[in-house]
Amino acid sequence: MYDELKFYQCNHSQDPLVGCALEGVATVLAGIEDVSILIHSPQGCSSTVALGYDNQEIDFTRRKSACTRLFETDIIMGATDKLKNLIVEADSTFASKVMFVVGTCAADIIGEDIEAVCRTMQPQVGARLIPVFAGGFRGNAYDGMDLGLEALLAVMKEPEKRDARSVNLIAPQASLNPTWRADLLWVRRVLTRMGIEVRAVLTRDTSLHELRHASSASVNLLLSHDVGYDMAKRMEERFAIPLLLADIPLPIGLINSARWLTALGSHFGAESAAQEIITEGETMVTDVLRRRGLMIIPRYRNCRITLSADATIGIGLVRMLFAELEMIPECILLRSGRPEARDLLAAELTELNLAAKVAFDVDGHQMRSTLAQQDPHAVLGSAWEQYMAEEVGIQIGFDLLTPTNRDTYVDRPYMGYEGMLNMLEVMANDFERAQRSKRIAWENYTS
Amino acid sequence: MTYIPKIAGGLLTDKIVFHGPLSELYRLAGKGAIPTHLQGSHTRPCKFWTATKILSGIRNSVVLTHGPSGCAYGIKQAYKLTNCRNSGAVYEPVLSTNLDQNQIIYGGEDELKAAIREVSEKYAPKVIFVATSCASGIIGDNVDGIIRDMRGRVEAEIMPVHCEGFSGEYRSGFDLVFRDLVKLMHPPTEEEKSRLARSVNIVGAKMGPERTEIDTDLKELVRLVEAMGASINAVIAGNCSLEQLHRAPSVAVNCALCLDIGYAVGTAMRDAFGTPLNSTILPYGIAATESWLRGAATHLGLEAEAEALMQQEYAAIYADYEEVRPHLVGKTAIIEGHDAIKSLAIAHMLDKDFGMRAIIYNFHPWSTEARETSIDYMLEAGLDPEILITKGTLALGRYESMQQTEDELLQFLGGLNPMETVYFGSSLSFPKIPLVDLNAILNRPRFGYRGALKVAQCIKTALDYAFRPRSTLAKRIVFPKDGGLASAASMTPKQAQNLPDCTLYAGGRRRGQCMMS
Repeated sequence: MYDELKFYQCNHSQDPLVGCALEGVATVLAGIEDVSILIHSPQGCSSTVALGYDNQEIDFTRRKSACTRLFETDIIMGATDKLKNLIVEADSTFASKVMFVVGTCAADIIGEDIEAVCRTMQPQVGARLIPVFAGGFRGNAYDGMDLGLEALLAVMKEPEKRDARSVNLIAPQASLNPTWRADLLWVRRVLTRMGIEVRAVLTRDTSLHELRHASSASVNLLLSHDVGYDMAKRMEERFAIPLLLADIPLPIGLINSARWLTALGSHFGAESAAQEIITEGETMVTDVLRRRGLMIIPRYRNCRITLSADATIGIGLVRMLFAELEMIPECILLRSGRPEARDLLAAELTELNLAAKVAFDVDGHQMRSTLAQQDPHAVLGSAWEQYMAEEVGIQIGFDLLTPTNRDTYVDRPYMGYEGMLNMLEVMANDFERAQRSKRIAWENYTS
Repeated sequence: MTYIPKIAGGLLTDKIVFHGPLSELYRLAGKGAIPTHLQGSHTRPCKFWTATKILSGIRNSVVLTHGPSGCAYGIKQAYKLTNCRNSGAVYEPVLSTNLDQNQIIYGGEDELKAAIREVSEKYAPKVIFVATSCASGIIGDNVDGIIRDMRGRVEAEIMPVHCEGFSGEYRSGFDLVFRDLVKLMHPPTEEEKSRLARSVNIVGAKMGPERTEIDTDLKELVRLVEAMGASINAVIAGNCSLEQLHRAPSVAVNCALCLDIGYAVGTAMRDAFGTPLNSTILPYGIAATESWLRGAATHLGLEAEAEALMQQEYAAIYADYEEVRPHLVGKTAIIEGHDAIKSLAIAHMLDKDFGMRAIIYNFHPWSTEARETSIDYMLEAGLDPEILITKGTLALGRYESMQQTEDELLQFLGGLNPMETVYFGSSLSFPKIPLVDLNAILNRPRFGYRGALKVAQCIKTALDYAFRPRSTLAKRIVFPKDGGLASAASMTPKQAQNLPDCTLYAGGRRRGQCMMS
């Protein structure tokens, strides 16, 4: 088990590190091809929807969204007509197959009947209208992703037949890897090598056809420990699709990758293909590190590190840092706190015999105060942790996660073997940069 | 109803909503003869965002947003993270009462009270700004009452900021906070006035500290003020402290950084405390800079020093400036109008300093209301630039036809020689005429004499290299072959700011407006 950190003065005020439900909803919907998003809200919420597109990295030429721009009169008098007019205008402009009509805080609270509007307007427009309630008060972005995923159930058909060797991949975007698309690609590649077909990704470049037929997959795989458990449960109830591999960490580091691949191969009777991928991957990683990264051994051994991440990357990293890099993850701060993730982390720590301090659903204050109190050698997290580390005097900050100050043009997985090397590369550069002189010491040259 | 007072060469009449002088557009908008509303694709940051942008520029303060957590997270990511990354700021929190469904139903007043206590103890700030959101505004929490009750129970000063996103246009958040900040200021005393007789406030700044590695416009103004023999009390609200705000009314003069936004706080301070206001158009170019400096010097009693400084500054750029200027005289400039204030200031500079003809392109009629102060100033100063507005500006944003925009622009220009015409806009635009992008980071400072030289050299460079075709790579990045649709509503403010207008508005195959200015 773990020693859960306690924080004071944090019950009523939060310095959030995660967006609201609307962002989560938008992050899911933006991953579907040929849909538009119409938000019934004041104009500022458009920025939040834009974050959803950003998370999916949909380029600016492919975004179809509009906003009713609610003002005071609309709040008092209602704005159903405004919404109806925009639905017609957006339908003719965007010509998308599906239009999600999303109510945010304001519309949600004043009781705009978005469902009725969609029903009434449906005969007048070409797009299929799907209402979604996404008031920011319904939760944080992780809750919103769950809400967005649930909205997709409306599109799914009853399965006509079951494809025995097919999977759905759920919530790849719920990850702090800044280029999580590469993780999804890695998973797709290993599935292909094992002869397993991907029925639908929920969501990333997902077609409506794929979405409709997601119900015919034989299993669901979660690519997140932060999001998607509810969706998997609903799909199990409705379509009898079981959730696989939920009880082991995602493939972060050598050991976890091997565990994950072995379990997957075992389920699908593809043990030899799985073993082949593991052997190739482990050989590649060790060969590269022998040639280029030998110094990671003395560099990281017994380095006391605070890990600040989402559950998706963070839980897997614990074993990689502790068992493979010989670091000591003394403190683990996670941005979410699903019961499933808590249990998984507890199991990992118990198995590793590691007594770490742990906190879930952390906010900025908790993160900063923990860093100040723990005084680790290094912190692994995002740009935020780097700034805090600098402020409280921690010399080494590994800037691996979103939001990052690194510009990355080529997508890099964190999952799997290449993924491990990608993380080690960032860590090596950040470590060396932290130790180097920042300027020429001119004072040494004055006579 | 559309109005087309004149058409160049009779072209494109079906695509033009307005072409005529600014004064005429202003008149038509005033009487409702031209639509002034923004489209659903043309969203801007809401009042909450703009209000908190100003609040983010006050040191040792905490913004406590009363609402769901997303509002706080958004502004923290947009403003505070940027301050850390670019401007050497320490990590700054933005707090939220994190209202959930229960509190939406039963009220969040208890939560707010408890949050104020927690924030005070956790951060020990000098001031807590309680910013309301849509959610807390609609459910009707008595924020003012709670703050009254909590004053004196915590160390910090507490101020309510009623900035629900629905309660006003984006600009109203700036004005609201600047007016509210005056409540934190102390009335001038003779002693303080005497001590600050040679000090100014620069008013109208926002967000926080300046970039450490760049010669920004603000730094240039500070340099000029100090070179004149005065000092800066506060940049409001560009990383100013509560102490600076307290004594701000005692300075000799407030100098507006941005006429439109600085005007709100400047007039509020003038009305409340009699602090003089020096408010001119953005100091782009020598004429505007001299107006700005003379306006400040009058109140500082440094007229002679200001004149000496102006001579000295001009002397420093004289040789280069006079070498470049003849290449500019008589040329025409098309100025993207998405940033209304900037486009008016550039038009002023081109006319007064460089002897160029300025046409502001797709200045959204919405701006006639939002930017009334600047327009009045321009007209009173005798400047009435040409405005051209096309149908796309008023349509729901589309992307697919944007590639035709540049050709149509040239068509509109009729007999004008493309090589004698300069386009002021984003580098992500591709008109077939030389382009000057004053937002490019290397083109700073743009204010002051150094700025005038820099802008003049930018124009000259654009003309000199007009022979070079625009990069195919760059054009393909912006205009993919199978490009779909886009709208400002789908952009984060930073993205929207960098994209050319046509990207956002091209429904009628025309340019328009980005989100944040």
